[in-house]
Amino acid sequence: MREARKSAGSFPAQGDGWLSAMVRFGGLFLFALGAFALVLLVFGKNPIKAYVDIFANTLGSAYGFSEVLVKMIPLTLAAVAVALPARIWLINVGGEGQFHIGALLAAWGALNFGNLPAWVLIPWISFLGFLGGGLWGLISGFLRARGWVSETISTLLLNYVAILLLSFFIFGPWKDPESANYPQSAPFADAAVLPSFFGTRVHMGLFYSLTALVFYHLILSRTRWGLEMRAIGANAEAARRNGISIGRYIMILMFIGGGLAGLAGMAEVSAIHGQLRPSLSPGYGYIGFLISWMAMGNAVGMMAAAFLLAIITAGGDILQMTLRIPGSVVNILMAIILFVILARKGGGR
Amino acid sequence: MIEPILTGLLVGSIHSGTPLLYATLSEVVGERAGIVNLGLEGVMLVGAVVGFATTALTGNAVLGVLAAALAGGLFNLFFGFLVITRRANQLASGLAMMFCGVGLSALLGVSFVGSKIKGLDEVGIPVLSDIPLAGPMFFNYDILVYLAGPIAVLVYWVLFFTRWGLSLRAVGENPTAAFAAGKNPHLRQYQALFLAGIMGGIAGAHLSIALAKTWQEWMTAGRGFIAVALVIFSKWHPLRAIFGSLLFGGAIALQLQMQAWGVPISPFLLDMLPYLLSLGVLAVWGGARRLAAPGSLGRVFQGTE
Amino acid sequence: MRRERGAWVRPLGILASLILVLNFGFPEAAPAQAKLKVGVLHIGSMTDGGYNQAHAEGIAVMKKNLPEVEVIEVENVPETADSERVMESMIKQGAKLIVAASFGYLDPTLRVAKKYPDVKFVHPAGYKRAPNLTTYWASTPEAFYLMGIAAGTTTKTNKMGFVCALPVSFFLANVNALHLGARSVNPKVETRIVFTGTFLDPGKEATATNALLDQGSDVMGMIVDSPITVVQTAEKRGAYSVGYHYLGVQKFAPKGWIGGVAFTWGGLYTRFAKQVMDGTWMSENILGSLASDMITLAPFGPAVSPEAIKMVNDVKKSFLDGKKEVFAGPIKDNKGAERVKAGEHWSTDNLGKMDWLAEGIIGQTK
Repeated sequence: MREARKSAGSFPAQGDGWLSAMVRFGGLFLFALGAFALVLLVFGKNPIKAYVDIFANTLGSAYGFSEVLVKMIPLTLAAVAVALPARIWLINVGGEGQFHIGALLAAWGALNFGNLPAWVLIPWISFLGFLGGGLWGLISGFLRARGWVSETISTLLLNYVAILLLSFFIFGPWKDPESANYPQSAPFADAAVLPSFFGTRVHMGLFYSLTALVFYHLILSRTRWGLEMRAIGANAEAARRNGISIGRYIMILMFIGGGLAGLAGMAEVSAIHGQLRPSLSPGYGYIGFLISWMAMGNAVGMMAAAFLLAIITAGGDILQMTLRIPGSVVNILMAIILFVILARKGGGR
Repeated sequence: MIEPILTGLLVGSIHSGTPLLYATLSEVVGERAGIVNLGLEGVMLVGAVVGFATTALTGNAVLGVLAAALAGGLFNLFFGFLVITRRANQLASGLAMMFCGVGLSALLGVSFVGSKIKGLDEVGIPVLSDIPLAGPMFFNYDILVYLAGPIAVLVYWVLFFTRWGLSLRAVGENPTAAFAAGKNPHLRQYQALFLAGIMGGIAGAHLSIALAKTWQEWMTAGRGFIAVALVIFSKWHPLRAIFGSLLFGGAIALQLQMQAWGVPISPFLLDMLPYLLSLGVLAVWGGARRLAAPGSLGRVFQGTE
Repeated sequence: MRRERGAWVRPLGILASLILVLNFGFPEAAPAQAKLKVGVLHIGSMTDGGYNQAHAEGIAVMKKNLPEVEVIEVENVPETADSERVMESMIKQGAKLIVAASFGYLDPTLRVAKKYPDVKFVHPAGYKRAPNLTTYWASTPEAFYLMGIAAGTTTKTNKMGFVCALPVSFFLANVNALHLGARSVNPKVETRIVFTGTFLDPGKEATATNALLDQGSDVMGMIVDSPITVVQTAEKRGAYSVGYHYLGVQKFAPKGWIGGVAFTWGGLYTRFAKQVMDGTWMSENILGSLASDMITLAPFGPAVSPEAIKMVNDVKKSFLDGKKEVFAGPIKDNKGAERVKAGEHWSTDNLGKMDWLAEGIIGQTK
């Protein structure tokens, strides 16, 4: 299992020209579109119409475009949540769980401190969201640092525990007394809701995700920590012998990664829903994983991939209405995109 | 008073544990050959939908199971193409396969939601199922349940007592050495994945044709991931997998049983049992388990290095 | 070798882009204008044999009654942020009436309703309204009480099992009604309830049903999105079932079917559409009862005796005449506290607050 991480595609060295990477990616993407088109044709559906519908539905109107941005926010954060630990070959598939725990802790803050003014409350619940997800990620980090459980497994298992924990709270102690026993928390105070822009649903979380991307890039390329992380990633043994504390990096990176996913959870629950509910995430954690891998850990690439997948997942709803195929077929498209990238860049080492 | 509780629990563990066992065996075979398949969930879903659809169309449940097995095998071969021939990262490819399986099964299954099938009926073994206590408990299941244990034993025998199994494990331990000894690691791995896919497909089929007798999108609900954990739990050993699946299936059944008994614990906390249990076991015995892993798990052989 | 393999990607990509571009430039001809476009959101599959199919069939009836209405129907819309987007899509396509057919869509629907005051929205079982949002539901406890009578006379072990998704008040009210109905003819009946925690998980539903049957229950009831799994599992083990949501479920249990409570929304949806078309639509809270066309009792199965059927019809008449109340006191809950005093009753408007299970029901609401 240790080796599985190493048989990675080439996470490009920082110096890889990003323009040529984008062009290469563009070619691969079009190939993927072609492959998905074949799948649709096999089922008797018109792929051109599907693509036109998806893009028109999202990029063809201001509203559509704003919805793409709305989706991009949690996706980008989830992607960085995976990419950061991945620098030292940690596989974090726990985005879902970290997302939900972040939402949970943020909700606790919103419900219990509702009378604070917004400029205090929002940072407070943002912090709580980050803390919640971070602690959840730290569990896996700790177990891995001690050599007890692979983080791939522990994050996967903890995903389920997180969702159950959330359900426990919204069915029990935090259930809204007004909602006919239906599982959701009481609505958050207005001060706890992340503000949105221009009457769209695009909200302040956008800043969180952009900041996360920028910090990710800067830390990796400009700081000593980034250097040490890349050293660990290249040759863990040599790094250890040089005095770098791998265990500490494992825990810290799982904490930060989890925290970013938790921040996504907080943003989603605060800005979009305004209360804690059972269905908060349509798999952002896993899609974030796909994005991180599609972009091979490159910050600009992740933003582009998040944008792309946001278009696909947001635009996918329309396919049910116009083509009468289930919305989840877009999962196939996303999978194919990743297949194409993995198959070309795959390196066994 | 105790008797119905125990029988209910045992029966429930067997019912829930069977798809888990097939899935775990699938993953064991693959990982013994050095390949981690996180997309097991996708394989199971493809098996579930193909099995259900075939049963609905032909009216023959056995045909459905066979179709599911074949579908699972083919699906996994594609995964093999990615990770063996194209040398892609196994974990990422596996997750991509999961997504693919979810979408593909949804697409295939659209016209079959709500269909009624006859399904795999329970077969009482003639004399044995009439034994007062043990009868209904042990001898009244569908054939996939009966076959699960023997298949686990078969997998064990194949892996440890046949030449093919030996070479498969050699590939998983050290593909370079295997190659030097004249084996073809890639071929072995493809074969292993095909076999693994067959079992994964059967696992899904059991869910849709025998247990629930219905098809819904993503009806495996994470059981594929649980199986990946169970593999580690059982130290990559097919016989221990039986125990692990029963334990886990039991944990799933336990929370529902406890509700039926009226135990005053929140069903959600009870539901966490299986996962926390796995995590706990892995954490406590973690170190030793990692040493039991096939040496080259996750790496893909690349010819002479 | 690598370069050779990669060479054809680029031309393929160019070709694909050309195709895309060429097709972008030819918009589709606009279809003939329908008099009214209705958008429908389903949480699950339209053929699930349960909750969603009942709504879908109601819409189909509406379409048949009003051929000038065009329907845009989407299945499997999750109750997340995506539901708002789907509604917006429909409105952009010209929908003037939106049927958001799942409880969890309430808040998203309210938000969209605020944005589009000239579009009408209807939502089942919502507890908040807006000037352009109507909430509707059919009150099923009376029907469940009647089913309880049939079940109570038919059970041989005096034990009933119930598989329920979540401890939502309206569901608890149904279970209480079933149980009380059974007890009214058979005071020895006890009911066990298991919550699966989700509206749809056939694996869990099958396991839960088996667990309840292992405990000796021989009548199974359920409130989950699709009753198929529970009914089938019960039938396989020779137990009886009381169906819910959808009439067609009966075919899954030819022997064990006792009866069922189905939603038939066709009449209501036709009325909604008509009202929107002639401008008489108003925001209200519609609570259908046994008398309305929104609830239909399924035909009784072969196991129910003619005497039981007569009893059911008699009680049904007293419900319809207003002479009987489902939750007439005294009623104690399963923890011993008195919930309804003698001479009083728990009214159907107050079902949203029913968070307890009646005496004789074994189970936990939290």
